[in-house]
Amino acid sequence: MADGCGRSADAAAYALGALEPGEAEEFRAHMQTCPACREDVAGFQGVTLELPDASVQYAVPKGLRKRVLKEVRATPHDGAPARARRPVLIPRRALGAFAGAVAVAVAVIVGIAIGSSGGGGGTRVIQAQVIGAPGSARLQITSGRGELVLRGLPAPGAGRIYEVWFERGRGRPSPTNTLFSVSSVGAGDVGLAGSLNGISEVLVTSEPAGGSRVPTSPALIVARLT
Amino acid sequence: MIRPGRRVRIVEVRNLADEELMELVQDGEVRAFDVIFDRHASVAFSLAYRMCGRPAMAEDIVQEAFVSLWRSSAAYDPARGSVRAWVLGVVRNRAIDAFRREAARATSDLDQHGVVDRMPALELTDREVERRDDARQVRDALQELPADQRQVIELAFFGGFSHSQIAEMLKLPAGTVKGRMRLGLSKLRFALGDGPRVAL
Repeated sequence: MADGCGRSADAAAYALGALEPGEAEEFRAHMQTCPACREDVAGFQGVTLELPDASVQYAVPKGLRKRVLKEVRATPHDGAPARARRPVLIPRRALGAFAGAVAVAVAVIVGIAIGSSGGGGGTRVIQAQVIGAPGSARLQITSGRGELVLRGLPAPGAGRIYEVWFERGRGRPSPTNTLFSVSSVGAGDVGLAGSLNGISEVLVTSEPAGGSRVPTSPALIVARLT
Repeated sequence: MIRPGRRVRIVEVRNLADEELMELVQDGEVRAFDVIFDRHASVAFSLAYRMCGRPAMAEDIVQEAFVSLWRSSAAYDPARGSVRAWVLGVVRNRAIDAFRREAARATSDLDQHGVVDRMPALELTDREVERRDDARQVRDALQELPADQRQVIELAFFGGFSHSQIAEMLKLPAGTVKGRMRLGLSKLRFALGDGPRVAL
C-alpha cells in the first residue's frame, strides 16, 4: 500500500459499503486528491469482489432463468421502444477479408438478432426439409422477417459456407446477403436479410467461401412458405 | 475488440469475454445477455440468498437485478469495473433494499424449504473449474481470519450494516469496527495473493 494519509480504515469501510451515505460522499471527494486512499480502495475492492464466493453456492432455481429471459425479451432496451428484429448480415464486400478465416473457423452462430423481440404479431413457424444430411431446420417468421433455426447439421466443409436464397413463385433463386456456418454441434440461429413478403421458398445451399451469385449445389434446406 | 457497428460476426458467443458480451448487450443482443446471465446468476442468487435468507425473495432480487442490467446496459463502463462486479453490486444493493423494506430476515436453512438444490456436480468448463478453486480459496481465507475481523466484514458485506450500526450492535467504538475491517481485508488481500502481509 502507498504511504497513507491515515484513512486506510475508512477505505476498508468504504470498500465494504459500510460508510454512512454522507461519509461515503465525503470519502469519495477525499479520494480525488489522495492516491494512497484510491490505491487502498482498489485493493480492498479486489477482495470484496471475491466475497460472494465465500457463500455456499447454489444452482439457479428452476424457472428463474426462464422468467428472467422472458422478461428481458419483453423489456425495451435502454428505454428505447422495442425495435423489430433485423438480422446480422455478412456483406459480400467484406467477405474477401475473412473468407480464408471461415475455412478454419471453429465458430458459428451468425444471425444474432439485434434489438428486442417485442414487436407485435405472432410468429409463424414452418418446418423446413433437410435433404441429404442429418439435422433439422425450421423457419420462424415474425412481422415479415425470418430466422432459420438449425440443429444437428453438418458443417459446410473446409473453404465452404452455407448460403440462403429466396425464391418467388417459379423464378430462379435469388442470392441474399446471408451466409453462415454452424456450431460444433451443428446448431445455428440465422436471421435472414430482407423481407419474406412475396417469397415462396427459402433455400440453403453449400457454396464456396464468399458465396455465389447462382447456386452451385443442390438445396440442402427447403422451407416452403406457400 | 469488437468494432462498434459491426455487422459481421461468425463467433461462438459463449466464448466471448464478459466485456465483449456487454458490447453486444448494449446493442440489444439478447443472446449475449443470456450468456451473461448463465455466467453470473448462480453466484448472484447465492449472494442474494445469503443476504436475505429467503429463496423466493432471493429469486425476486436476482430477477429485478438482471432485468435492470438489461434495461440500463448503456451505463456499463468497463473502465469502472468488471461485469461481475457490476452484476453483484446491483444484486447486493437490491438485497439490502429488499430486506430493509421487509425489516425482518429469516434465518431458516435453505434445505428445510427444499426449494433449491446445492450446486450439482456439473461438467465444468475451464472457467468454472478456476472459479470453484477461487471460491474455495476465498472461503478458506475468510475462515482463517480472527473471529472479530470476520464478524465485522460479514455484517457489513452480507448484512448490509454500516460501521455505525455494527458498532452499536457489538457495543464497540466506531473506530474499532473500521480498524477490524481494515485488518481483515488486508489479511484477505495477502491470503488471496494481492497485498503485503499485515502485522497482527
